[in-house]
Amino acid sequence: MKILALNGSFRKNGNTEILLKQALMGAEVEGAQVEILRLTDYKIGPCRGCGLCLFRENVCQVKDDDVSFIFSKLAECDGILLGSPCYFLELTAVIKQLIDRCWILGHQIGKIKKPAAVIVPYATRGWIPYVFAQSNILLNVMGLTKINEVAICTQGISEVVLDQEAMDLAYRMGKEIAVAVREKDLVYKGEEGVCPSCHDWLMRILKDRETVECPTCGVRGKLSVVDGKISVHFEERAWADSRFLPEVQYNHFNYHIAPSKDYFLRTKEERKSKSQKYREYLPG
Amino acid sequence: MTEYFVKLRYYPGDPLEEIREGDLKSFAQKYGVKIAYEKIENREKRAGLLMENTLDKRIEDITQEVITVSGDREGGVSECIRALYKKYRCPRTAYSLLGSNAAGEKIAKGLMNTYGGW
Repeated sequence: MKILALNGSFRKNGNTEILLKQALMGAEVEGAQVEILRLTDYKIGPCRGCGLCLFRENVCQVKDDDVSFIFSKLAECDGILLGSPCYFLELTAVIKQLIDRCWILGHQIGKIKKPAAVIVPYATRGWIPYVFAQSNILLNVMGLTKINEVAICTQGISEVVLDQEAMDLAYRMGKEIAVAVREKDLVYKGEEGVCPSCHDWLMRILKDRETVECPTCGVRGKLSVVDGKISVHFEERAWADSRFLPEVQYNHFNYHIAPSKDYFLRTKEERKSKSQKYREYLPG
Repeated sequence: MTEYFVKLRYYPGDPLEEIREGDLKSFAQKYGVKIAYEKIENREKRAGLLMENTLDKRIEDITQEVITVSGDREGGVSECIRALYKKYRCPRTAYSLLGSNAAGEKIAKGLMNTYGGW
């Protein structure tokens, strides 16, 4: 059994790395072989938006970086621990860079059944609204199943070692991932949020002002206030629209992306003529 | 008189509920517009799943349901499309209004931005 930790922090032996290593120690106790990758040590180039991975499965135009190596590590392992600090409301840029490159894995969604857990150290309470949405996107697009997540309030470099409760929690999460792999148990064990699919608290109000949507999985529900408490009700059938379900992914690729080739080809002359002035203006 | 002509192309998984011709007839009556409905089905069952190769097909030829709304009253067309979006949600591809005329497309696109989410 192999557990891989992906570290989205640049800082060596900072809070994220310490927490991930603590979790890996827990996983080792459960018999796992462990490995950690500091993502900033690897070259992760930007997605070039060429669409080759969408139109020709499993072909990525970017060949001069380390993303395929990271994906090979992902394929080798049985469970994932994802860690990233939150510096400014979100996870770090390297996580987003990796998310964009994961389009090529979109074809695999639903095929991989591996557990994952997320650890996010952060400094200021209330300044982390998007961290779990982002980690949900990365895990979902990698085809992984989140079984736990935690945000840990800690600030200065390596200060988290002073927080025994946080260290114990990370250790338990590492053990939990290893046990989940061994027992093939992908049931979510963390704190429930508003979205029963993503377990996040983030909701987007649509402009009709009647509907709310989980911005990550796209499932829609109705918001109400009952006894002074905000509640979101999702119809059971709404789950069939979760954008990370294999069937929804298939429809998305097959009906929203692939046919755009026809539109692209039939508008070729018009595009060419209308975009000419932009080719000539401030040529790069 | 301006004629408004809108084609709403729903691809598999797009409509929130089954599109029924009876419901469309009710909408046509309620909003004083004409509604036509066309279903194109080209999926085949492979390995237990409904599948279709769409990469080299014309947009109009792949599996879809097309609701065509037409009329000469902007208010009626607009209210009808709003009701369709509410019931089925708005169609979602960049080319989902293909075949509409300019006046109709303007209404449908504006309502998408307001009621369909991004």
